[in-house]
Amino acid sequence: MSETDIKIKDSTASWQDGVAKTITFIVTKDCQLACKYCYLVGKNEKERMSWDVAKRAIDYILDHERDFPEKSVIFEFIGGEPFLEIDLIDRICDYIKVELYSRCHHWFDSYRFSFSTNGINYHTDKVQAFINKNISHLSIGITIDGTQRKHDLNRVWKGVEERGSYLDVVRNIPLWLQQFPEEATKVTISSADIPYIKESVLHLYGLGIHAVNINVVFENVWKDGDDKLFENQLMLLADDIIDGGYYKDYACSFFSENIGKPLDPERENNNWCGAGKMLAVDAAGNFYPCTRFAAYSLRSKEPIVIGNVSDGIDKNKLRPFLALDRITQSPDKCKTCNVASGCAWCQGENYDAAETNTIYQRATAICLMHKARVHANNYYWNKLYRKLEMDGRSTKCEG
Amino acid sequence: MLQYLVILLDDTSVSFCHYDVTKPERRLISLDDLRQGIRFGMMENLMIQFIYPDYALPQEYLDVIDTIDHSNIKPLSALDCETDIVVVDGWKYNVAKLNGAVVVLRTSWNQLSKNHNNLKGLLNVVMRLSVVITDVERMTASDHEQYKAVLELLGKDVESICLSGKSPQFNLLTDRLMLTEMNNCGAGDMTITLAPNGKFYICPAFYYENEADSVGDLNNGLNIKNRQLYSLDHAPICRKCDAWQCRRCVWLNRKTTLEVNIPSREQCVAAHLERNTSRQLMLSLRSKGTFLPDIEEIKEIDYLDPFEIIRQ
Ligand code: SF4
Ligand code: SF4
Repeated sequence: MSETDIKIKDSTASWQDGVAKTITFIVTKDCQLACKYCYLVGKNEKERMSWDVAKRAIDYILDHERDFPEKSVIFEFIGGEPFLEIDLIDRICDYIKVELYSRCHHWFDSYRFSFSTNGINYHTDKVQAFINKNISHLSIGITIDGTQRKHDLNRVWKGVEERGSYLDVVRNIPLWLQQFPEEATKVTISSADIPYIKESVLHLYGLGIHAVNINVVFENVWKDGDDKLFENQLMLLADDIIDGGYYKDYACSFFSENIGKPLDPERENNNWCGAGKMLAVDAAGNFYPCTRFAAYSLRSKEPIVIGNVSDGIDKNKLRPFLALDRITQSPDKCKTCNVASGCAWCQGENYDAAETNTIYQRATAICLMHKARVHANNYYWNKLYRKLEMDGRSTKCEG
Repeated sequence: MLQYLVILLDDTSVSFCHYDVTKPERRLISLDDLRQGIRFGMMENLMIQFIYPDYALPQEYLDVIDTIDHSNIKPLSALDCETDIVVVDGWKYNVAKLNGAVVVLRTSWNQLSKNHNNLKGLLNVVMRLSVVITDVERMTASDHEQYKAVLELLGKDVESICLSGKSPQFNLLTDRLMLTEMNNCGAGDMTITLAPNGKFYICPAFYYENEADSVGDLNNGLNIKNRQLYSLDHAPICRKCDAWQCRRCVWLNRKTTLEVNIPSREQCVAAHLERNTSRQLMLSLRSKGTFLPDIEEIKEIDYLDPFEIIRQ
């Protein structure tokens, strides 16, 4: 066995991870589906972004180049379902390209257009024409939750709860993979999904998807015993990934060598979430530190609007986001936690769940789930390294 | 740890800080709530500060107030020998009447920029002067330029008073000289306010802004949610800062940044202009003789907003 045979596929990091500004256009609050775990509590068919608002947002951002010093930019389009607004998006992207060029903007040739779609309209002529026009600057993720059973449990058509959307999405997967072979799919796990995790990930691998980015929801949805079930599913998944040799070419973000370690309170004190470093704009032309602070994403709090396309950004409202660190917002149990690394949080959910109107109170609804993940993750790496070691030994003996 | 209890005796009690009194009708705290408030203060070992309206209180109130050691904060119109701190709202006052007094002077920035020449006369006679710029959060970059120039002139005034052998106390320029650590308003952390409705508030500003924003009442005690956010160690910008004289107003923080623990740029820049002028004053006084030899020199810094250093 040579060095090159020891191959473990990494979870794919996104383009210009950490150095790109993400600017999100909430182009519509409408969607064909009504997913049961969807955090967007205020979805509706009325709030569609107008061209005027989109253009004013772009003009504001490009007029204030000094306020956006990041080397690169990701223009992200979300909804609802963004491809419902493909005409608008096409016009926005054309305008951005022309403006970046004519202004000699530092983002010219360092930009991406990014989409997270339910995949239903992926094959349509308009979407395909858009893809072909922009393919070298595109990243598109299709959300598919796993097997038909698992996917259809949550991702159902709006107004027809018994009709799942699996077949409508999966028919577009080959075309998508042909156009974006390196793309990952995003899977979100809620309480009811736990028993299907293993089969779902393997199913996605079977569809030819090489990277599965999978997360448990941050909301407080967990029932007693969910952590044990979850741990069990991840152990079974670990066995199958290792015994089946999938680790060489397929990645699952649940397993990572960097999670489950204590964190230094000073050196490892960064905020987890990127809220505030991103910028989102909605149909009304309001700016948010991230889409999770727009009214349609919040259950129990007022939106946090940090400006609008007419008045610009109120930098004082951004200061709390940019001053956030891990320790200041964490409860004592997290400060001294032995498995803190990789335990994530979402600033929007922190805000939504906080006892006062603050982003400085970390929600820890995922605490037991993270600990379960750490157990399974430790098991995964111990097993994988032992296997690689044994494989190496037997090759040596044969030699 | 809580140390002070502010009791607003009436809805029209004078403002001694950034907020405006937005309730024009008199509403005296009930005698029973006053008694209970004092009892609470005694049980929690708090120093009580009573805030007075501009009219005379009934004798029975004065009798109850006198059951505890306390300090009295009164408007200029109610100034008497029982006053510990007198609040002057604006620039109409008689200097002679303020001789030896501890004075809070509330002013807009615009008025301060026009009237600052009058402060030397005050500083010469009062025991202590605190100037509160009531619209500090609305100062622009050019206001800050001008504020710097005003502070420099005031620094010269303070210096000449010092050289005449007096020890003026002036919040904007001498507090920083004496301090060795943060000394801020402390609302929600060291100080709590009892309003005339019998409920507790972080400070009077929170009461006047929204009565529903209470943090407990006399029957059930205090219930300050996320209380840690009022303390310095949970203020990620301020804990890195050495403008120790800054008021660090948590109400202005919430108003401008939506978080009680995060200040606006405007509050920080104003406080740093004061800090830097205090530094010049210290250097200048030291160049002329021994001045506060035990106090460390105020360092030279190249920022006016500590947010910039935490971003680095
Ligand atoms: S939420 Fe739980 S697992 Fe995560 S850091 Fe806090 S204590 Fe540790
Ligand atoms: S100057 Fe700013 S950072 Fe410093 S104490 Fe005042 S408000 Fe806080």
